[in-house]
This record gives sequence, C-alpha cells and structure tokens, in this order.
Amino acid sequence: MRFFSTNFFRGLIAQIAGTVMGMGLVMALRVIFGLPLSSPIEADDAHIREVIVVGGVIVGAFSFLVGAGVFGDWFKWARGEETSDEHTVDSSKPNWMRYFSVDFDHKVIGVQYGVASLLLLLFGGTFAMLFRIELAQSGITFLNSEIFKVLLGYDGPHLYNTLMSLHGIVMIAGILLGIGAMSNYLVPMLIGANDMAFPRLNAFAFWVNVPGGLILLSSLFLGGFDTGWVGYPPLSLRAPLGMQMFLFGVFLIGVSSIAGSINVIVSIITMRAKGMSLLRMPIFCWAALATALIQFTATQLIGLSFQLVMLERLLDMSFFDSLQGGDPVLYQHLFWFYSHPAVYVFILPGLGIISELLPVYVRKPLYGYKWVAFSSLGIAAVSFFVWAHHMFVSGMSPFLRIPFMYSTLLVAVPTGVKFFSWAATLWQGKIEFKTPMLFTLGAIVIFLLGGVTGPPLATIATDLHLHDTWFVVGHFHDTMFGGFIFPFAAAIYFWFPKMTGRMYNEKQGVIHFWLMFIGFMMMSNLQLVLGLLGMRRRVADFDAALGFDGMQLALTIGGFMVFFGMLLFAYNIIRSWTKGEKTEGNVWDSRSPEWQRPNPMPLHNYDQPFEVVGEPYDYGLPNSTYVNMNPAGETPAAH
Amino acid sequence: MIHLLIVGVLVVISTLGIGLLLTGGWILPQQASQQAITVDWLFDLHFWFIAFFVSLICVIILYSLIVFRRKKGEKGDGVYMEGNQRLEIAWTIIPIGIVLWMAVIGGQTLADVERRDPDAITVDVVAAQWSWRFEYEVTTAEGVATKVVSDTLVLPRNQQVLLRLHSQDVIHSFFVPEFRVKQDILPGGEKYVRELRVTPNTNGNFSLMCAEICGQGHTTMVAQVQVVDGSEFESWLNEQAAECNLSDTECGQRWAQTFGCLGCHTTDGTTVIAPTWLGLFGHNVELADGSTVVADTNYLRTSIIDPNAQIVAGFNPGVMPQNFDEILSAEQIDQIVAFIESLSN
Amino acid sequence: MSVVESYATKLARNRLGLWLFVISDAFVFIGLFVARMVLLGDTRPHLEQGLGLAVTILLLVSSFLMNRAEVEIAHGNRPAFLRNIFITMVLGIIFLVGVVGVEWQLAPFGPADGQAGAVFYAMTGFHAFHVFTGVIFLFIVWNNGRRGHYSAEKHWAVEACAIYWHFIDVVWMFFYVGLYLLGTPV
Ligand code: HEA
Ligand code: HEA
Ligand code: HEC
Ligand code: CUA
Ligand SMILES: [Cu+2]
Repeated sequence: MRFFSTNFFRGLIAQIAGTVMGMGLVMALRVIFGLPLSSPIEADDAHIREVIVVGGVIVGAFSFLVGAGVFGDWFKWARGEETSDEHTVDSSKPNWMRYFSVDFDHKVIGVQYGVASLLLLLFGGTFAMLFRIELAQSGITFLNSEIFKVLLGYDGPHLYNTLMSLHGIVMIAGILLGIGAMSNYLVPMLIGANDMAFPRLNAFAFWVNVPGGLILLSSLFLGGFDTGWVGYPPLSLRAPLGMQMFLFGVFLIGVSSIAGSINVIVSIITMRAKGMSLLRMPIFCWAALATALIQFTATQLIGLSFQLVMLERLLDMSFFDSLQGGDPVLYQHLFWFYSHPAVYVFILPGLGIISELLPVYVRKPLYGYKWVAFSSLGIAAVSFFVWAHHMFVSGMSPFLRIPFMYSTLLVAVPTGVKFFSWAATLWQGKIEFKTPMLFTLGAIVIFLLGGVTGPPLATIATDLHLHDTWFVVGHFHDTMFGGFIFPFAAAIYFWFPKMTGRMYNEKQGVIHFWLMFIGFMMMSNLQLVLGLLGMRRRVADFDAALGFDGMQLALTIGGFMVFFGMLLFAYNIIRSWTKGEKTEGNVWDSRSPEWQRPNPMPLHNYDQPFEVVGEPYDYGLPNSTYVNMNPAGETPAAH
Repeated sequence: MIHLLIVGVLVVISTLGIGLLLTGGWILPQQASQQAITVDWLFDLHFWFIAFFVSLICVIILYSLIVFRRKKGEKGDGVYMEGNQRLEIAWTIIPIGIVLWMAVIGGQTLADVERRDPDAITVDVVAAQWSWRFEYEVTTAEGVATKVVSDTLVLPRNQQVLLRLHSQDVIHSFFVPEFRVKQDILPGGEKYVRELRVTPNTNGNFSLMCAEICGQGHTTMVAQVQVVDGSEFESWLNEQAAECNLSDTECGQRWAQTFGCLGCHTTDGTTVIAPTWLGLFGHNVELADGSTVVADTNYLRTSIIDPNAQIVAGFNPGVMPQNFDEILSAEQIDQIVAFIESLSN
Repeated sequence: MSVVESYATKLARNRLGLWLFVISDAFVFIGLFVARMVLLGDTRPHLEQGLGLAVTILLLVSSFLMNRAEVEIAHGNRPAFLRNIFITMVLGIIFLVGVVGVEWQLAPFGPADGQAGAVFYAMTGFHAFHVFTGVIFLFIVWNNGRRGHYSAEKHWAVEACAIYWHFIDVVWMFFYVGLYLLGTPV
C-alpha cells in the first residue's frame, strides 16, 4: 500500500495526532494556570470545551503541514543547508504518487488544486442537493428525518441553516482552489517559464488548503453554524462550536490565497519569455494578474475579521457585540472589504479563459486586446471601492450610501467592454462548436444575466426591496456560474489533452453542456423571480399561501440537472484520463506556446527558451506566428 | 451591412418582447405603500435596460453562431480584424453616461422614498429571537400617557409611520415585500436604533418578515401587518390602551402572545424551540443537571424571571431572553403563569 | 530546465516577493487601526506612558542596529554584523517582555474588559506575534552568520530580515501613536 507512504497520508496522521496533542496542551496549560477543565454550568462548560478544541485544531493544522513535509526545505534553509532547485522525479515510484506528494512542479500543483477544487464543489453541491430537497415543497419534512438527528445531533431549521451556510462557503472555497488550479497550471506555461517564481511557497499554498478544507467540513459534525457564509456577529458569537471551524478553516484557505497570489504576480512580472512584453501576454495572464492584485491585499481583511470573531468568542473580547460595547457594523465593513473584491477574484480568471478560448474557436483575433486587458485591471481597481453596496440597509452611516451607489454602477463599464469585445470577436468568424466553445458561449450568456441583475441591486431604492431576497441569490449564482463554473469546465476540457495526453469524450461533453445549461437557466431565473416576488434568503421553509411551491419544485429539478451534469463531467474526465484517445501536439490548432509542445506537457515545460515574435491572437493574418520555439536554431539539448 | 441591419431589427424586437414581459406587473408583489410606487417605477426603468442589453449581446451572439458558423468542410480562418479604437471608446463612454444617469435617478428615487412627513406617527418595533413586538405611545381620553404593546403591527392608511427599530439580541431585519422597504435592526440600545418610514396606502393584511438570518427561528419570525382606515386605527388603539379587563388567564394568554413567548413555546404539545406549555403545570420537569422539580407557580415565575437558573433537560441555556423581568410587570407575570396553569386542566 | 538562474535574477525576484508580502501584511495592521478608530474614537486606553515610550525607543534603536548589521555584512565585516544583529535580537526580546510581560500585567483591564481592552490586546497582540516571528528570523540569520554563511555579495537572508524588522518597527510607530498618544484617556 504505497498510499500510506505519501506525504498526504503522513500529513493526515500528523494532523490527527497534532489535534489531540494540542487539546492536551491547552488542558495542561489550563491546569497550570488554575483554570477549570469543566463546569457545572452548561454554558461555561461549552465555552471551556470550545477553547480546548480550537487550541487542538490550530496545532493540528500546523502539524499537518509539518507532517506532510511542506516546510522541509525551509527548515533546511533555517539550519543553513542548501537545497536543489532542480525538479527531480523519483522514477521508482508510480506517477500517481506525485499527486499525493509535496511536489514543486507547477503542473502537478495545478492538477492538485483542480482535483481538490472539484472535490469541494462535489461537497458543496451535495449540501445544495440536500437542502433543495427540503425546499422543493413548503413545510419542513426531509430535514426533520431521524437520520440527521442520529448522525449530526441536530436537524430541522438549524440543519437547513448549516447546510446552506456550508454550501455557500464550501463552493466559494472550491472556486478559490479552482482559480489556483488555473493560474498555477497555466501561467508559467503561457509566459514561457518552467515553474512559478517560488515553487516551495506554491506547494505550501496548495497544501495549507487540505487541513483548511478538512477543518471547514468538520463544522458539520461539531454543531454546525447558522449564520450564512457571511458570519455576521452577534449571531456568530452565539452559534455552536462549528462556527469556529468555519472561521479557522476559511482563514487557512485565505492564507493559501495570499501566498498563491504573490507567486502569480512575481512570476508574471519577472519570468516572461524573451519578447513577451506585457501587451503580448496571453490574455489569461492579465486576468490572473488582476486577480492576484486583489487577492494579496484584500484577503488579509477577511483573515483579520475572522480572527477577531474567534478571539471574541474565545476570550470574551468585545469587538462586535454591541451589547458589550462593540460595533456589529464594523465587522461588516471589514468583511465586505474583502468579500466584495473577492467576487471579482471569482470571475476574472474565468473571464480570462473566455477571452483566451474565443479566438481559437472563432479563428479571429481577440477584438480590442488592449481594452480587454485593461478592463481586468479596471475592474480590479474599482472593486476596492464598492464594498458597502452589501450594506445599504445594514444601518451604516447613511451618507456612505450614495457614493457607493456611484462606484458600484461604474463597474458595469469595464465589464461591458469585455462583453462588447467578445461579441465583436464572434462577428464574422468561422465558429466551431467543440465542448470548450459551448461552455465559453454558455458562460458569456449566463454571466451577462448575472451582470445585468447587478444594477438593480446597486441603486439603493430598488435594493431596499431586493436585499436579502432570492433575487440576490439568483444574481450571484448567475455571476459565479457564468464567471467561474462554466469557464472552469471549458478550461478543463480545453487543456485536458495537455494535462493527460488524452482526449475527453466529445459526446459526453456536449450532453454535459446541455444538461447544465438548461438546468441552470431553470434554477437561476426562478431564483430571480422568487426574489422579486419577495422570497427571503436563508429560510428553511416558506408559507404555502405564497404560492411558491411549483416554482420551488422546478428549481430543485434544475439544480439536480446541474448536479448530474457535473457527475457526467467527473465520469468523463476520470475515464478519459486512462482510456481516452491519445493525442499528439496541437489539438486545437492554437498559436499559444504550450500547444507547440508534446502532450502531455513534458516535465520541463520548455527545454529551450522561446521567443515571442508576434501578437498572440492573429488568427487569420497570413504568415504570422506568435512564438518562435527555436530562436537559436539549435537542436534542443537531449534530456 | 445587411448583417448589421438585421441584427438591429432583431434587437429592437427582442427588447420590446423582454421589456414588456418584465414590466408586465406579475413579477413584483402588490403595491401597498407610497414608497412602493416610486420603487416600482425605478424597477421598470431597470427592466427596460436589462431587456435592451440582454437583447443586444444575445442577438449578436446568436446571429453570429448561426450565420458565421463553420459550414461542413469549410477551412480557413475568420475575417482578420484586430479592433477599432473609436468603437471601443464609444462603448466605454456611452455606458459611463448611462450609469451616471442611473445613479442620479437612483439618488432621486431614494430621496423620494425617504421623504419625511412631520406628522408621521411613531411606532417602536422590538425584534428579538424570534418574535416581534410593537409599542405605541397613546394618550387616553383621560389624558394619561400609556404604552400599547401589540404583536400585530396595525397601521393607519395614508399616514406616514416612523418605525424606530430595536433589537434585543442579534441583527434582524424589517421587511414587508408589499411596502418595498427594508431596514436591518441592530442590537445595542439607543445608539443603534435605526429608523424606517413607510406610508401604507392599501387596506389589508400583510406579513412582516425578518430578512436577516438570526438563528433557528429566523424562518418563522413573521408578524402580521394590518393596514386599516385612520378611524379604525384610532379605535383599535384606544381599545388596546384600556387595562386588560379580562380574566387572568385570558390576559395571560394575551401577554404570552404579545411578548413573544409563543414564538418559542407552544400550547399544543409540540416542541419547536422551547418546551411546550401543554400539561406543564403541576408535572415533574427534568432539569439539565439531572434533578427533577415540580412545575409549580414558583418554579414558573423563576423560569420566566431568571431562565438560566434551572435549565430543562434537552435545552440550551441562553436561548430564552433574560430580560423579561424588566419588560413584564409582576402582575403580567402572574397572569402568564395563570395561563400556563390553565393549560394543564 | 537545467538552465541555472543567476543569483541576481533570483535576488530581484525574492525582493519583489518580500515587498509584496510586506504590503499584504500591512493590510492586517491597517484593519486593526481602523477598528481602533471605530471602537475608541477620540479616546484612548489608560496605559503606562513611560513604559510605552521606553519600548518604542527600544524598537527604534533595534531597527537602527539592524540597518547597521546589514551594512556591515555588505562590507564583509562579519564580527560587526554579528554583534549588531545579536543586539537587535536582544532588544526585540526585551520589547516583547516589556509589552507582554510588563504592560499586559500593568494594564488596568483584561482583554474581556470593554472595547479598550479588546482593542489594546488585539493591537499589541498581533504586533507582538510579528515581533516574535521577527526574533526567530533574527536568530536564524545570526546563527547561520555565526557559522560562516553570507558574504558581502550574497546575503539575501540578512536583507530580508532587515526589511521585515523595519516593517515591524514602522507598524509599531503607528500603533504607539494610536494607543498612547491619540485622543484623551478614559
Ligand atoms: C461572482 C461574482 C459577482 C460579480 C461579478 C458581481 C457583479 C456585480 N454585483 Fe454582485 N454579488 C455577488 C457576486 C458578484 N457580483 C455575491 C456573491 C453577492 C451576495 C453576497 C451575499 O450577500 O451573500 C452579490 C451581491 C451584490 C449586491 C448586494 C445586494 C444585497 O445584498 O442587497 C450588489 C449591490 O449593489 C451587487 C452589485 C453588483 C454589480 C453592480 C455588479 C457588476 O460588476 C456587474 C457588471 C456587469 C454588467 C452590468 C453587465 C455587462 C455590462 C454591459 C452589457 C454594459 C452596459 C450595462 C449597463 C450600462 C448597465 N451584488
Ligand atoms: C460557486 C458557487 C456556487 C455554486 C456552484 C452553487 C450551486 C448551487 N446552489 Fe448555491 N449558493 C452559493 C454559491 C454557489 N451555489 C452561495 C455563496 C450561497 C449563499 C449562502 C448564504 O446565503 O450564506 C448559495 C446559496 C444558495 C441558495 C439559497 C439558500 C438560501 O438562501 O436559503 C440556493 C437555493 O436554491 C442554492 C442552490 C444551489 C444549487 C441547486 C446549486 C447547484 O447548481 C449545485 C450543483 C452542483 C455542482 C455545480 C457541483 C457538482 C460537482 C461535482 C459533482 C464534481 C465532481 C467531480 C469530481 C469529484 C472530479 N444556493
Ligand atoms: C427565544 C425563545 C424563547 C422565548 C421568546 C421565551 N422562552 Fe421560555 N424557554 C425557552 C427555552 C429554550 C427554555 C428551556 C431552557 C430553560 O429552561 O431555560 C424555556 C423555558 C421556559 C420555562 C420553563 C419551562 C419548563 O418546561 O420547565 C418557562 C416557564 C418559560 N420558558 C416561560 C416563558 C415566558 C413566560 C416567555 C415570554 C414572556 C418565554 N418563556 C419566552 C425559550 C424561550
Ligand atoms: Cu430575526 Cu431573522
Ligand atoms: Cu459586492
């Protein structure tokens, strides 16, 4: 059983041991300082338990990283030892083991991110299916089943709230990892580098997600939490122990986000191939750069606000509880200062993928490359100044509302530039409908719906009605599916031959697309309508008299279609990975440098640095190329 | 050129179709307040913009997909065009103009929605996990100022009300879809009291729903809103202002309703959030610490005044509000106890 | 690929990376400062002024010495480098003792006592944690320096350590003002 010798498995063992040890440590410290280990008063007892468990979990997360050997080279440096920068592969081990090891190759890390992301989406999707069954009709029935009480210790509305909150945050974590997958796998390849700037930091950034994700999911078994993904205090100060797991798990995923983004920025700025000026970069790199700029700054604020809530719970410090002198609105400012820009983190890479794939299938240049590139930066820049549009009715200072309405509406401008450029790209092309292209087109249409439902939320008067209704739910499912889920699927299909050397099954891909597109349209449009009609968010049940039953049932069916579509996708990629048709070279007839190399991509991406000699997307311009793969005219050195 | 012409015509048709569909009036709840009229006007404006931009992009895309698709056996690339500076500038500037204009309109409608009427009547709204309470100041015919407490929000038609929103624990939110307005309710005393103004303009019964997640009972945190004629409102208020001159049990039931006890406790034997009151009085109650007590008058009174003193087995401390001592008079507590007592006979 | 990149290339990359990290980290402290302004406004906690001034001066001096250490190694003067960095480390430890060991004990409130307690312990705590990691970093660099690592040409670790230490110092300057000088004590 080789699996038991992988870093992954060792990390898991270390995490379990570390958690137990950490709990022991906290208990020992309490004994030393003369603090009680239990209390006859149930409330105090719960608090003491929470302190012990949280201590254990923090030590456990750190132990995972140490046990998995993520810090190995850094510890060596600290001791003054040298380490090698060479990628070496132990050929005595089977290839799959690399994916469970602390590997520094960006392609391995990219795939690790991708698989972890899909797993999180699977969990988040499963939670959604569970609460969708409940919502399919009025009256609380399914979630009151005995089995939940037995398995989890709670049921009913609290279970609904927990599933709904976990669905939201696990999906978002899935998105963040998916973005890690795309930027790690693609950026070095597209800029002509052989790896990221800091491979060890890169590995750390991936692996910290593993304990993070496990801790986040463990929330389900530790009482859950009923605050929604936003975790507003004072409610989050009173929620069960599961709340802490949510806060700390997300904190770790945030750490990953920061470390990963620094790597992306440095790689793009310092490691581009010869001749690749910024305006000759493949367009995805612009998107990745803009994303990283948001990630490495704003993320700190969600980290901070979550830590403060943890501290408030553990040590009774009063930051946010207004009954103790704190300020609940302050939390919302700190939280949205990250979480608004974060929504553009979710979509920018996806929009980059759209811009990247369109020219290949339309066989035409990307219309207005420069404008598309700068619009990413524009969105990123404006995104820092709009956060309070989530707080129009929160009771913040009223004078803040109007300026935030203006800034929010301005985001429509750079986003609009992208849409118009895509439409112009499609105009008079020679369009080919392969699975990745279908997903690209689906993404554009769905994201458009998400985008145009933004302005009604942004003008305060209409938001007074819409805030915390399902209209918001419909708005962000549209933006996130259009901005991430569809482009992510497109990217996986498109680069699948590059990753595996094999082709996915085209027929299944097309079925996947139609299942998902139709199912999603049913789901999100109904969400929008229900919201306009006044359906509140985050309710476990709705009054039958409102007459929503029929729509809710259809919505559930739509949701299941999306879920089954994604399962088909999983089947397709897992099967094609080993059984798919072998591919050679440039499957899509793309101009991009990575497609000028064999499939799967060799261990060292480019044996020889290439030189950029033209524009990236000059399809249809005779005798033009983007890259000269062999600028020195030598035969590549044998490996 | 012919392509552009066809697309243009299709965009117009599609915009009209989608726009008429969205502004058809079926997509928003009934309009029951002055504010709703203003808000819905802005909604319709948005719907037309949505119709136009969705049509514009989708028609171009669909048209391209059909007309410019690769026909069977066709080879080669599309028409080479890199971009057009002037076009790009146009589709940057025009949307800037539109959004700025939208923002100006947005500001004006907001001002309209929040317009103050100096004659507005004031109602204090108290939200707690998971109940609503409404307090009116009234001066009775004898000239005595008293407070009327109700669990139903009764409002006079065509009269602006100023709602002062208080929360006792976590954040809640005041939302009546038919009124189109919403405001979060913050805990923390006077400093955190927020205000909301509505002018109901239609008689009827509506639901006030808590719109900010506030825990287990969020779903059921719903209260009745009744909009009635001004004269009817006055008489309702005076009736409420009179002392409760019913029997103790009936008064107790009324307080249990008004002060939100029945938001958590039931009288029919089911357990939702808190122990049921049916058959409670005079029976043994198992406590969380393992002991057993008999639910007599004293026990019930302590349970109301100091809920954490004795916790019922299977329930959590801190769920039941701790401040009923301040809110309820001793007489009211006695009457509630009498009511609970009546549920055992 | 087996092209070995030059030290200069890597150095430039590392510098950029570190500066990005510093900017990123600064956001935590900005957030804390904002929280302080919102929660305390124009009041400030009742603190031991003398002690605050003392630790601040200490940290300033240490920052200066860190700079000396970096300059010395750049000139190839190892003993002076080691001496300076060692004192920096010791001053860092004294700072920690001063804040955590003394000021936290002297403060008339605990973390659970109102907004003042919350803000004070959060700001000093987050900062102290950074000082603590800084001290560990200093120790590693000092220890490796003692064993003959680093040269006038190649001493990225020393430079990184210095940047990080100055950053911690700058943060404290703001926090000192925020906690000890701004507003009226209550
Ligand atoms: C994934 C990403 C994502 C994206 C891209 C967006 C994009 C936008 N969002 Fe959204 N939003 C979310 C995710 C996203 N949002 C989430 C998750 C929430 C809820 C959080 C929660 O509470 O749980 C939310 C909530 C949210 C709110 C708060 C609602 C409330 O709770 O009351 C608001 C309010 O202003 C808002 C506005 C906007 C706007 C104006 C845009 C704009 O960027 C849209 C711009 C795009 C277009 C407008 C379309 C294309 C443009 C044209 C074709 C040009 C011409 C158009 C015009 C001139 C109008 N969003
Ligand atoms: C990326 C983000 C994302 C995605 C994809 C989804 C997907 C879905 N979401 Fe939602 N949702 C959110 C983000 C997301 N959601 C957020 C942030 C909230 C707010 C939470 C809050 O209010 O706090 C929310 C809230 C939310 C609500 C509102 C709940 C409420 O307010 O009470 C509803 C209700 O219908 C809903 C439904 C669904 C459904 C049916 C799907 C379906 O489309 C799900 C289908 C499943 C998948 C798309 C993934 C399946 C994947 C696989 C099977 C992969 C397997 C592959 C391998 C293992 C290799 N979601
Ligand atoms: C937010 C929910 C909530 C509200 C509102 C509430 N209670 Fe309770 N109540 C509880 C819970 C939970 C318990 C059980 C735990 C305990 O004993 O404190 C309880 C216990 C009690 C008990 C003891 C019951 C027994 O079975 O022994 C009495 C009596 C009681 N409540 C009376 C009241 C009265 C009177 C009011 C209103 C004036 C009220 N409660 C409002 C949640 C609530
Ligand atoms: Cu009160 Cu939700
Ligand atoms: Cu936002």
